[in-house]
Amino acid sequence: MKIKEGFELRTLCDEHIIVGCGRKNIDFSKVVNLNESAALMWNAVVGKEFTVADMAAALTAEYDVDEKTALADAQRIVAEWVEIGIAE
Amino acid sequence: MKKAIKLILRFLLSPWRWFRKKRDGVLPSGKRHEVPNDILLGLVRDMIREGHTATIWVKGFSMRPFLEHMRDKVILAQPERPLQEGDAVLAEIGPGHYVLHRIIKIEGEKITLMGDGNLGSTETCRMKHVAGIVTHYIRPKRTIPATDERLIRRIKRWRRLLPCRRFLLLVYKSTI
Repeated sequence: MKIKEGFELRTLCDEHIIVGCGRKNIDFSKVVNLNESAALMWNAVVGKEFTVADMAAALTAEYDVDEKTALADAQRIVAEWVEIGIAE
Repeated sequence: MKKAIKLILRFLLSPWRWFRKKRDGVLPSGKRHEVPNDILLGLVRDMIREGHTATIWVKGFSMRPFLEHMRDKVILAQPERPLQEGDAVLAEIGPGHYVLHRIIKIEGEKITLMGDGNLGSTETCRMKHVAGIVTHYIRPKRTIPATDERLIRRIKRWRRLLPCRRFLLLVYKSTI
């Protein structure tokens, strides 16, 4: 699994926003907003092939969370990213 | 009395309201997470500077009747020609404070802006504070380029009708 090319995470004033920079026109009416833990997972896996376990590992390394919960969170986030078309 | 006039206007203009909704579409439904404007528009400005165009939702009612709050979007770009009166622009009129209004006067580097739906209040900024110019007006069912001659004529006419704008806006509100 990987994050599609052309998407960048921009952090502005504690807001983590994914912007489709690969296109000439950027549609800000469809920006994706990430919370802090989702942004952490994004940064851990962006630009490379990854698995849900890689994302969960990033979570357990940063937060005091058990592996099962981290896996469930990572799975949910990946499903959302795939659904909105930023990961494949 | 004012309420009665509004009700009567609303009743009389119901066929026009129906036509407008059919032509332009209605507010899209669904939950949206809104990124605060000062954050999002700062990013929009940066991306336009990088050479992109940007599509954003219109928020607020100050550009009525040409743009409607959270129904319409606009495409913004770097101006490819000198700015002129009548252009709708996104401008930073204070630190982190952006408006999408129309240029009504240009004096050298100084620009005076006014919302189409405003009755008299204006803002001023410098040329360098213009983040982007509106190139397209996007309604749910149609997209109108800012170069559309009919639209330009309507904008000029709307400007000339400033003295009776309050009444015209009252009528307009009855059609949405």
